[in-house]
Amino acid sequence: MILLCAALLPLLYWDQPPSSAPQLRAAGIERIAVAPSSVDAWRATDIKAEPFEPAKAVKLPVPHLEMRRFEAAATSQPWIDENGWRMLRDRDGRFYYDVPARSTALAAAEAYVFQGNAFVHTDQDGLAPFSRMVAFVRAIPEASRDPLYNFDLVDDHSAEMGEVINLLIRRNLLFRLVDKPDAAAANTITHSKIGSVDPARAANMIRQEIGDDRRLIRIYGTEVVIARLEGNRDHARLHLLNYAARPVIGMRVRVLGPYRHAAAHIFGVNDAAVSDIATDAKAIEFTVPSMNEYAVIDVSK
Amino acid sequence: MDRRTFLLAAAAVPAAADVNPAVPTYRVVTPYKRQDDEGMPGRYPGKVVRTHSGGIIDEATNKVDEAMLRRMFSEGMRSLTGAKSERDAWAGFFSPSDVVGIKVNCSGAPNIMSRPEVVAEIIRNLNAVGVAPERIWIYERFPSQIFSVHYDRYIPKGVNIQAIEMQRGSIANYDPRVYVEVDFFGEEDTRSNMIRLVTERFTKIINVPNIKDHGAAGVTGCLKNIAYGDFSNVARSHYRAKTNTLTYIGTLATVEPLRSKTTLHIMDGLRGVWQGGPFVLDPSFVFYPKQIVFGTDPVSIDRLELDVVENKRKAEGALSIWDRNMANISFRDAKNPHTNRFIREPGHIEYASKLGLGVYDINRIQLKEINL
Repeated sequence: MILLCAALLPLLYWDQPPSSAPQLRAAGIERIAVAPSSVDAWRATDIKAEPFEPAKAVKLPVPHLEMRRFEAAATSQPWIDENGWRMLRDRDGRFYYDVPARSTALAAAEAYVFQGNAFVHTDQDGLAPFSRMVAFVRAIPEASRDPLYNFDLVDDHSAEMGEVINLLIRRNLLFRLVDKPDAAAANTITHSKIGSVDPARAANMIRQEIGDDRRLIRIYGTEVVIARLEGNRDHARLHLLNYAARPVIGMRVRVLGPYRHAAAHIFGVNDAAVSDIATDAKAIEFTVPSMNEYAVIDVSK
Repeated sequence: MDRRTFLLAAAAVPAAADVNPAVPTYRVVTPYKRQDDEGMPGRYPGKVVRTHSGGIIDEATNKVDEAMLRRMFSEGMRSLTGAKSERDAWAGFFSPSDVVGIKVNCSGAPNIMSRPEVVAEIIRNLNAVGVAPERIWIYERFPSQIFSVHYDRYIPKGVNIQAIEMQRGSIANYDPRVYVEVDFFGEEDTRSNMIRLVTERFTKIINVPNIKDHGAAGVTGCLKNIAYGDFSNVARSHYRAKTNTLTYIGTLATVEPLRSKTTLHIMDGLRGVWQGGPFVLDPSFVFYPKQIVFGTDPVSIDRLELDVVENKRKAEGALSIWDRNMANISFRDAKNPHTNRFIREPGHIEYASKLGLGVYDINRIQLKEINL
């Protein structure tokens, strides 16, 4: 049986009657969110139900990928609909996914990685992938969730800055979002003019400013994976989210830091391991042979 | 890191695509060293043998006269090497202990490609000098292209036919230790990795390009087929009207061990494409040079190919492949021989010669023509 910790993991929002409790149990789900008017009815079951009103939460688009070939740049750079930027901007917010079965695993993983307080609504077929993802996350050894990043980004809460944040996430440029500059920060980026900056150009300018050689994460061989890094210089955890509807085969990853070892936990893969590990004075590189929606790679000295 | 604050201003800062130095900064990473006695430009720098036969291919049916093809191979290789027999000619390059990769060109398949009859003749000669079928690979990057040619119908059992990117864009079959890193237009993935079969399996490579114009490179021949055909993530070198083929082709071709292992080039010029290459956008763009060209020097072979394509285009009233007029650029009309999709870079061949890959000066190229 799976215990869902609402503080860390997304919660299933379920709009079926209590008679559906056996289906939930069969999927390994013991705790759900329901409409406030339904909470009492669920007390008669062994499924714990807490109240949730979708209308009072931020509804998120389905996380997915679009190949917009004629809008892309020098590569076939895909258009990723990711929701991490919303969760980073609103740490106290509640978020609501209404997703088809094929997207529930990714939605759950996305919410977990970005530490959003999220509720996932899906259909009957979505129960199994959702609970499998939650079980996978719960089985990963605990580790620090302190973010690692290249620079501070001052959020002025404008729509334009929201798009900049979105693009930075999609391009795996790691930042800490702050409300005002921190004097102790090594690199701070602010927005001096609202409404007159092309977010794509802004993201590229930031990339040039940081320099590819100093970026904490580089991903090669795919443009559909979003990465986040947490931990410290002794041990870091790399979260990888795959937004394509199919596995990514043979992705190469570079993590800046004095790491020498890498251990993999890959959703849907038994005995997961990275390959072709290479280290130099500055970084560790490895190949992820195959990943589905989510992978966690622990790197250490 | 420096302590500083970077202000995002309304940009007079150009977009990434506008920042384009004349020669990009390439970072070549490989643990392999050059083997001086083999590899491009090889044993016969500047020497090219061009065999021609009016009856080699039927223009109506595309049927190849295989007996004539065998003669062209025999004459061509003996003339290139000075050997008395074709067996000796091939034995000078290959031994039974070799593992041989045959880099075909299937980007225009099924309308134009390294013909299976040509590849079969190569394999016949390799077998004759003791290279077993199991030690021979026909390879190309994309499965939809190579498998459409059905090489298996023409070659002995045991020869391997390998597509590298079974999932398009995957680098699973590329070597993570050997790559060129460069940022052309601000793309996120800045690496092109070498095919793993090349680095870890093959001891020798035979390069089998076609005679084709190319929208970005001007022409595609030995250099483009071996360079862009052996690395991942190369399409990023083109954007809008700009292409970096001028410098990227030669740069890739110099990376070890590709350079040292590519020992022989056999250009399949039975058919050619003069417009819309590397594809066949219209049957009227196909022509029949009826040549097979032999050499170890990719620059010299490609230099001569330039003239073949340019002369054909001139005869058809098409733009020169050297045209650099932006007014002639059109993104939507690849079939129009009076426009260009990109500013073409046929200068990539001369650039490659400056990297030491072969002889470009037409006055120093020793061309032997054999008409059968």
